[in-house]
Amino acid sequence: MHRIFRTTAFRFTVIYVLFFAGAVAVLGLFVYQATFGEAAKQTDATIDGEIDVLADLFANNGAGLLTRVVRQRTAWRDDSIYMLIRAPSGAVLAGNLTALPPEALDAEGGFFNFTYERPIVDAAGRETGIQSREARGKIVRFQTQSEAESSYLVVVARDVAGRESLRNRSNAVIVRTAIVTIGFGVVIGVLFSRSLLRGVDSVNRTASAIRGGDLSQRIELTGSGDEIDNLSINLNSMLDQIERLMTGMRDVSDNIAHDLRSPLTRIKNRLDDAMKGGPAEKEEALRATLVDAERMLSTFNALLSIARIESGEGAGVLKPIDLVAIAEEMAELYEPAAHEAGFELILRAKPTPPVLGSRGLVSQAIANFLDNALKYAKGGSRIELTVAPIKAGGAFLSVNDDGPGVAPGDRDEILKRFVRLERSRTTPGSGLGLSLVAAIARAHHARLIIEDGLPHADGDGSGLKMVMVFPAQANR
Amino acid sequence: MRVLVIEDDAEAAAYVAKGLREAGHVVDHALDGESGYDMATAGDYDAYVVDRMLPKMDGLTLLSRRRENGDETPALFLSALGEVDDRVSGLQAGGDDYLVKPYAFSELLARVEALGRRRAAPTEVTTRFQVGDLELDVITRTVRRASKKIDLQPREFRLLEYLMRHAGQVVTRTMLLENVWEYHFDPQTNVIDVHISRLRSKIDKDFETPLLKTVRGAGYTIAADD
Repeated sequence: MHRIFRTTAFRFTVIYVLFFAGAVAVLGLFVYQATFGEAAKQTDATIDGEIDVLADLFANNGAGLLTRVVRQRTAWRDDSIYMLIRAPSGAVLAGNLTALPPEALDAEGGFFNFTYERPIVDAAGRETGIQSREARGKIVRFQTQSEAESSYLVVVARDVAGRESLRNRSNAVIVRTAIVTIGFGVVIGVLFSRSLLRGVDSVNRTASAIRGGDLSQRIELTGSGDEIDNLSINLNSMLDQIERLMTGMRDVSDNIAHDLRSPLTRIKNRLDDAMKGGPAEKEEALRATLVDAERMLSTFNALLSIARIESGEGAGVLKPIDLVAIAEEMAELYEPAAHEAGFELILRAKPTPPVLGSRGLVSQAIANFLDNALKYAKGGSRIELTVAPIKAGGAFLSVNDDGPGVAPGDRDEILKRFVRLERSRTTPGSGLGLSLVAAIARAHHARLIIEDGLPHADGDGSGLKMVMVFPAQANR
Repeated sequence: MRVLVIEDDAEAAAYVAKGLREAGHVVDHALDGESGYDMATAGDYDAYVVDRMLPKMDGLTLLSRRRENGDETPALFLSALGEVDDRVSGLQAGGDDYLVKPYAFSELLARVEALGRRRAAPTEVTTRFQVGDLELDVITRTVRRASKKIDLQPREFRLLEYLMRHAGQVVTRTMLLENVWEYHFDPQTNVIDVHISRLRSKIDKDFETPLLKTVRGAGYTIAADD
């Protein structure tokens, strides 16, 4: 659980919540100032205006009129509060306060807040009780030159209880809103980071399982199609690629061990014998060794090519290529050789849209097909090289012969490295030609299909058709 | 020809040097990039044979520096890296040819001699070639032997043109496939041999002295017997 607090999503959420809460606070402050702040100022201004009026009355007409006016105003029974006191005797001349509030004594001529008791009056004007209310007022001293020894204390105040209770309620609302906002943000943040963590967790689990040596593990998909899912899909296909490479590598080393060890052993034995023999044997041993070495080199080269193409490095960047042009060139290159071997090489090329590929690799694949046809289609007389578009998009190329063919059960076998069917053991070859073709097909995202070919000339045998199906450019 | 071999594998270098000397060339040998660069700066060579991966200074750097200094000596790269991109980077660094290890010595010899020849007439554009009584004109695309016109297919013409440009030299099957067909792979069947024998039937069959000869274990050469 505590891990959630360290996730990026959670940190973002916290920052967002803080920022949002700050914005709410600033907004609240503005609203507060514009309403309650303004109202408080107005109260003070009203009190000051009233005092100015009273001071004017007192200066021009004396204490008598002032007392009368205060009595009149007191009778209005609104939120106004007045009190007129004769100093220093302390006699209350007029007003609706029974005693001077203690806060007034400390105010020294300024504003002060105080509480007072007020009767509760019902609609009919009867008193039904007493309530304690808040008020804000100002105390001033009126004095005349002529009566230096006697002065008057005047208190003017306003009842602010209604405004205050509204302000308190608003404050509570603002605080509650802030708490809810922050709480909501935190909850969302936790949920958000938890769901994010679940995706990352699954990636992590798989990664550590793979580090532990189990390359077959794959990341579970949530099926939501979100970024994590996309990431998982990409990682999974990367893992597929790695697994294929690892398997390929293991196969290659197995195969090297198998196919290079035996000729090496043969060479060693032969040289051992030759050391003891005469010049003629030595000469013969050298000659045979040279043949073996050359064969091993070509095997080795083929293995390297396959490994390179499979690693994705050998194909390079695939560019649009014209299969028809390549097929024409290859037909032209092989036609004399086919003719000499007793075959008629027929090119059937229909106009075909370009496919993405490597000219070198595709022509090498065709060369391997044709080499195979020339070597293995014994008794046949026709080889057809076909290039044509596919209705659904893409294109195919095929090499079709009327030789003895390959039994359906053996067809997957012949694509494997070093597999040479029993009857072809006597012909030269590394057994890597078709695995090279298979690697080329994979590099082009092409499918390799082995089918029955043209009917064998002698009647027994189905011929062999090798087809390479290239995908359309767009849906690769 | 004076050939500078820059190769860090001493045994392989000695093998190449010995073979080139037997073929009548003068060979110097450097074991790393820096000393190779110094020797190339000091000596006047007709061709370089440069391994791509060398200690101290790699082959690509070595050659591109020589090219920057105006050294136009033709160079052949030797490399275990044989893919198209590697060839291209080799050619971009100023290499004239590229040979992938492992290779047959006859292949190396044929290519080095082809390079030396290129240097002998570097700027002159030849449009007519003659070997014995066989003439080939690149402009009019005609071939005559003993003044008698011979009809060739376009590819046969290019094949003959390549052979005649390298008259007197051994041309390997791989060189033909690379230069006439522009393919970089080894066909398992004898496709090139059949093309050669077709060409031979057109230019040599009705005449007393054969010009197009097979060099056993190496390739072909076109030459008049003197």
